[in-house]
Amino acid sequence: MENLVALEQSAHQHIKIDTQKAQSHAKNLNMIPVVMVELSQIAVQQPIVFAKNSETGEFTLNALLGFEQHENLFYQQSQWQGVYLPLQLQRQPFFVGDTHAQQTQYPVCINLNSPAVVDNSAQSENNLEPIYTQSAEESGYFKQIKQCLGHLLQGELDNKKLIAALLKYDLLQPLSLEVTFENNQKTKLNGLYTINQDKLAQLNSEQITLLHQSALLPAIYTVVTSLGQIYPLIERKNAVLNLADD
Amino acid sequence: MNQQDKKIKTVVVVGGGIAGWLTAGRLAAHHKSNTPDGLNVVLVESPNVPIIGVGEGTWPTMRSTLIALGISETDFIRECEASFKQGAKFAKWVDGSNDDFYYHPLVLPQGFSKTDMAGHWLNNTAEPASFSNAVCYQEAICEQGLAPKTIRTPEYAAIANYAYHLDSAKFAVFLQKHCTQQLGVKHILADVMQVNSANNGDIASVTTKQQGEISGDLFVDCTGFSSLLLGEHYKVPFKPCDDVLFIDTALAVQVPYDNEDESIASHTISTAQEAGWIWDIGLQHRRGVGYVYSSKYSSEAQAREKLKAYVGDKIESLTVRKIPIKSGHRSHFWQNNCVAVGLSAGFLEPLEASALVLVEMSAQMISEQLPHTRDIMDITAKRFNETFTYRWEKIIDFLKLHYILSNRDDNAFWRDNRDPKTIPQSLQDLMKLWQYRAPADHDFTSNNEVFPAASYQYVLYGMGFKSDYSTTAYMLKDNVFAKSQFDKNKSMINQAVTNLPSNRELLNKIKRHGFSAI
Repeated sequence: MENLVALEQSAHQHIKIDTQKAQSHAKNLNMIPVVMVELSQIAVQQPIVFAKNSETGEFTLNALLGFEQHENLFYQQSQWQGVYLPLQLQRQPFFVGDTHAQQTQYPVCINLNSPAVVDNSAQSENNLEPIYTQSAEESGYFKQIKQCLGHLLQGELDNKKLIAALLKYDLLQPLSLEVTFENNQKTKLNGLYTINQDKLAQLNSEQITLLHQSALLPAIYTVVTSLGQIYPLIERKNAVLNLADD
Repeated sequence: MNQQDKKIKTVVVVGGGIAGWLTAGRLAAHHKSNTPDGLNVVLVESPNVPIIGVGEGTWPTMRSTLIALGISETDFIRECEASFKQGAKFAKWVDGSNDDFYYHPLVLPQGFSKTDMAGHWLNNTAEPASFSNAVCYQEAICEQGLAPKTIRTPEYAAIANYAYHLDSAKFAVFLQKHCTQQLGVKHILADVMQVNSANNGDIASVTTKQQGEISGDLFVDCTGFSSLLLGEHYKVPFKPCDDVLFIDTALAVQVPYDNEDESIASHTISTAQEAGWIWDIGLQHRRGVGYVYSSKYSSEAQAREKLKAYVGDKIESLTVRKIPIKSGHRSHFWQNNCVAVGLSAGFLEPLEASALVLVEMSAQMISEQLPHTRDIMDITAKRFNETFTYRWEKIIDFLKLHYILSNRDDNAFWRDNRDPKTIPQSLQDLMKLWQYRAPADHDFTSNNEVFPAASYQYVLYGMGFKSDYSTTAYMLKDNVFAKSQFDKNKSMINQAVTNLPSNRELLNKIKRHGFSAI
């Protein structure tokens, strides 16, 4: 269970964050939400796919991490295996809280039940980062986290813009993926969507210009290119299966 | 050009209820009325005649109809107070006891196309006592008040097959807006005063009080019970079927929910009474409830008592509307250049929500087979008449089936319903065949069937009918496969009840977020 509280210097001065353990939040995720600003980094390691939010049915943008429910092929041996750590993982165990009408700033919250939270730790280990310095200033690490949360906030808006444009031009299509692994185990991925390249090719110059001017065109092509990462992902799965067979 | 070669360029729909707008919309969508060279579709509607909202229940066909009209499912659900319908629950039809119920769901029995699942079920005591529960996961979904899909399912796509319950008054307004704004239907508010004939007996035009003469090449009579063109003008006789279906009166009431979280049933509930049955249809904002009964077997006062017992004391503050029902249909539906759709063609008690589906089927056939010229029209008319005479007869048979299998003995209404003199020969023949085997697709040879064999199975075995396989046990050698299908159904029940949201929850989400098209 998560225990989200607003972060306060007075209450949380001594808390440190184990950044490696923070990655464990991805342990059981076969997809992780991503935002437009990081798409080119994601695209070099994972397929970027659209899925639907189970509460609202709205489209979301994600990096695909596994083929089964709860399977994350990028989290092995208790750590993240990719060269790039998605913003959604970087920010753990911090969250942006809800804003109230009178507030102008989003409050930063922390999940005190996160395994990454180390309270009053005497030992100083490599992976431990303080939130506040001894003089009660925000640490360099925490400034980075806040930047990351800022990217995510802005990213949500960017994603919405991207998805609205894709829907407007009818550029999304279901991605039906049937994969057979080396051991002949088969799996079928449902509920994923990708860019319809035929429709993309049919856009007229005015539409393309509009997408270009709203800075969405690179994202669209990055998503298309990233689909090739399906093959390395299958290879990862095969490697896991081979290990299991041995 | 002589009159017979005349091209069909203008269709005049008279009457602006759901029948009128659905027919006009289907025609306009199919024949591109919103383009310069498309068909002219004109709908003339009296500003003074109120709409009779027939039936708030639909069939899954309504999804294809809305798609054909180019309507977004989200808009439809939001604007017509629509909710999901996954079939019907028939309560107290067999013996009237409190735990007496069965389902006629919309999903076909598991394994239906591969083996005789009904036969295997009848001879397998290990499977659930309810036929529909043994072969279909939809009864479980309905019993738990769950929706047939999730907010992630695209528009019009289903996890479990579904239709809608809708607010018919709002639906008519919604269709009007869509037809006039998107599809190019021309809307004229005027009272038809006179029908003007051409030399060949066709309708040349109608004269209206406010807008003068309106001429057309084909006239669609959607004037409701008054059947202004087909009945009054052409004097096409009405064929009553009150000797088979006894119901002649409805008492209808709109029942508000007690609170905005009250669950919305995702099926029609039909509860048998001493002289008929009560429908109960859950919309987003209210329930539609009504007692349809035979005045030969119940006084109005008795009927009002029964309705009150069902609805509760709050009925005192609600308006109960009395609607006379004349069961039957016109002897034919298309005469010269005039075709009737909706109540002007006929009406049957709403036991299986056949009113709107007949409108949809008529609208589809008229628009898809719209004759190009007048001289072809007589052929189209003949085919239309054959098709719909068959469909009406089949529906009458199927409705009667619900009555003849009842064991209720609380009123002569039920006993007389079982009297063979009141049962059409066609239905008696089928019942004889089914003494020894389950209804199968080959019992229904027309490609114009309204109810599939599966529907007959759900009603027959839901009501406790037993087909006797004792001399044909060799027909039931597929045990292993049948068992796998029963088991598959059980796992589908588990999956469905874990993953589906409640009907109310999904409707609320649609209002907030809407479905996506893919």
